[in-house]
Amino acid sequence: MIEDRKRPPLTDDGLDDSVLERHLSQTWSASPGFWGALATVDHKVIARRYIVTAFVFLILGGLLAVAMRIQLAWPEARFLDPDRYNQIFTTHGSTMMFLFAVPVMEAMAIYLVPLMVGTRNIAFPRLNAFSYWIILIGGLLLWISFALDAAPDVGWFAYVPLSGPEYGPGKRADIWAQMITFTELSALAVAVEIVVTVFKQRAPGMSLDRIPLLVWSMLVMAFIVIMAMPAIMFASSTLILDRLVETQFYNPAEGGDALLWQHVFWFFGHPEVYIIFLPAAGMVSTIVATFSRRPIFGYLPLVMAFIATGILAFGLWVHHMFVVGLPRLGESFFTASSMAIAVPAGIQIFCWLATLWLGRPVFTTPLLFVIGFIVTFVIGGLTGVMVASVPFDAQVHDTYFVVAHFHYVLVGGAVFPLLGAIYYWFPKMTGRMMSETLGRWAFGLIFLGFNLTFFPMHILGLQGMPRRVYTYQPELPWAGLNLFISLSALVLVSGFVIFFIDALRSWRSGKPAGPDPWSAGTLEWATASPPPAYNFRRIPVVEAREPLWSRSEGLAVTKGLQVDRRELIVSSVVEALPEARESSPRDSIWPFWAAIATSLMLIGSIFTPWAVVWGSIPIAVTLIGWFWPKGTVEDTS
Amino acid sequence: MMPGKVLRGGVAQPLAIALFSVALAGIATLVGLERQPRQYRIDPPVAAALDDLRLMPTGIGGAPPEVYFALDKPYETSAYDLSQGKRLYSWFGCANCHGDGRGGAGPSLLDGWWLYGPSTVAIAASIRNGRPHGMPAFRSKMTTDQIWQLAGYVRTMGAYSASLAAPSRNDDKHTRPAENRAPAAILFNEEPAPSPSERGPPS
Ligand code: HEM
Ligand SMILES: [Cu+2]
Repeated sequence: MIEDRKRPPLTDDGLDDSVLERHLSQTWSASPGFWGALATVDHKVIARRYIVTAFVFLILGGLLAVAMRIQLAWPEARFLDPDRYNQIFTTHGSTMMFLFAVPVMEAMAIYLVPLMVGTRNIAFPRLNAFSYWIILIGGLLLWISFALDAAPDVGWFAYVPLSGPEYGPGKRADIWAQMITFTELSALAVAVEIVVTVFKQRAPGMSLDRIPLLVWSMLVMAFIVIMAMPAIMFASSTLILDRLVETQFYNPAEGGDALLWQHVFWFFGHPEVYIIFLPAAGMVSTIVATFSRRPIFGYLPLVMAFIATGILAFGLWVHHMFVVGLPRLGESFFTASSMAIAVPAGIQIFCWLATLWLGRPVFTTPLLFVIGFIVTFVIGGLTGVMVASVPFDAQVHDTYFVVAHFHYVLVGGAVFPLLGAIYYWFPKMTGRMMSETLGRWAFGLIFLGFNLTFFPMHILGLQGMPRRVYTYQPELPWAGLNLFISLSALVLVSGFVIFFIDALRSWRSGKPAGPDPWSAGTLEWATASPPPAYNFRRIPVVEAREPLWSRSEGLAVTKGLQVDRRELIVSSVVEALPEARESSPRDSIWPFWAAIATSLMLIGSIFTPWAVVWGSIPIAVTLIGWFWPKGTVEDTS
Repeated sequence: MMPGKVLRGGVAQPLAIALFSVALAGIATLVGLERQPRQYRIDPPVAAALDDLRLMPTGIGGAPPEVYFALDKPYETSAYDLSQGKRLYSWFGCANCHGDGRGGAGPSLLDGWWLYGPSTVAIAASIRNGRPHGMPAFRSKMTTDQIWQLAGYVRTMGAYSASLAAPSRNDDKHTRPAENRAPAAILFNEEPAPSPSERGPPS
């Protein structure tokens, strides 16, 4: 160590490319082998894990959806018993929202944001590794409990008193609450990393008005996470306290308040929709621009719309509670605000359409998914405006109309753009192209299957079929549509199967992609596919919004970064003027152990409150390991 | 960088994690299939067998029916049955005489002193057949399943260490610690509660 300090640091000044690459990959690569894989803090490796994990949860949640559709295909079916059905719709909803949609969007951010802003790793990379292990274990907690026939059965928003101590026997609701704790912990960690990466690690010259739209959307998403997650953290913790140690937060007889649950849950729950949707909007903006072969129309209005959505998102939550009997004025206010959010959404849609209109669109698979998104999301938005009005909502609340509405916005607004994004960035992540033919089939089947499955649910809802019922009587006029829906779901599933086959096949043997197969404009395409551990040989200097489009003879680059230790550039918030060279943390196994210790504490606390006391000791030990000073120079210069 | 190498590392890691997770969930499924599922309606033959309490001639203690062991004593270990028992406790008016468990016109159920012994079968017999000095028989008012649920619950209330399956508090006034905090351990009396002499088994 002392010797090291005396030797003059080795910088990339004047090194030629191959020598530079050798040094950089030595400094940045994870050590090989099992422990190396557990210890890595490379944002790309972690993001890839996150994405694969989230898609595994999508498959699991999808299988549950199929099970529900089989049970509902005909009246009085005996495929599932009522208790199982309750567990299944709860596990389906919780998996899709907390283990698939939110994490997969964060995972895309973890992968793309550092590349798009031109830096070498995400901020707080060890926290990033920690967050992955946490969400993985949280997901396992839910699914193992499902396999044990002890999964939560109280719905994905777990209303008290149903989920409370009196009506929620056993550990089911506790498992739900703790699963929430896991996911919110990991989401908060990622959000902080994204904010710091975007604000402080942008490549020199990438001033605020040159940040790619995807990065803007991820930034707004991160802020929503930071402000919404504490509410659900309060909710899940107080629920579990009520259940396990007899606090009285939700007990009206002792001065608690059952309605409080709905407020804190939806204060998080509504913004969560935008946590899922805004990243998707960023993906759409990117894909539309690339395949229209022109810069996005209305960059500034789009950024403003993202930010406005992020702010308005916190003023809508009561529209989920219209039928609990709130003061009239409150209902009117939240009706108005719910309709107001259609304004920024409309601005976004018009900007995308204008870009397509003014450009020369090339209808590749990613763009097809975007078109599918626009159609589906607009329908979901229209039914959204419908249920935002109190008298209408009073009629369709808790019916299949609502199930149809939220699948239109969630699947239409997030899954379609996400699949488009996978087709779009797959070449970057794996170095190989996905198949255009299979992609078109997947899109066609998913789009058709989705609409055939979910559109009739609107009608079922208007005919009065309630959600969350495990069966219905033959006398009711619902059997025909239900059978139709269940058959259509098979079309939808076959589309997903083709997508997964395509992804796996292309991962192994797809056509090599090269660094920039789409001739796109943003920085992630300025490096190899897949990018090396250090992302960029030299940090680029950004002079335009689409750096790769504005210069034909290669990017300008910075020099002077040290290559014998992990180092990156810290820049100013607004103009991205380089401010300092900052070291970036090295690999460490401690985040893994810290996640294990945290999980033991959280899961143990379901069984005894003492787990919190004794469990904090291993956590402290692992954190000490994590932050133990290494005696290396960590200063900035 | 060899693309092949990058790729293999790339697929192997997430797949290993996925496989590991699937294996865990698989093991859990196997364990889960062994478990007693939550039953809303019990099979009539099983119910009939459960009704077959084998009591001592004094009617105080006895042995539960064989089927009770075959079912793995569900009424003492299943959270669902215990919480159903808790509801039956209020629905059938047990609290009118036994209060929140600390007794009233009837004896306390959590002072640690059991007039007819602490076994679940004795408690089930008390509920089903009634007892002298005012405890009514519920045989004709409840199903066998419900009698066992209620008996299991009453035992949890008087247990000295809380089982994991014990119910938690109600959304009511808080008059004593909930069953999952072993109220009997907290409220144990060194002496039996001063009770009118006419209580207990006929001598
Ligand atoms: C693969 C296609 C899908 C199908 C066929 C499907 C089908 C269903 C069905 C049948 C229900 C239950 C309705 C009830 O019994 O009330 C349901 C509920 C739900 N789904 Fe999906 N779903 C799919 C995908 C998704 C996705 C991608 C998401 C979110 C990103 C999602 C989120 C939810 C939520 C939040 C619920 C409510 C759960 C609850 O009531 O607690 N679903 N879905
Ligand atoms: Cu909402």
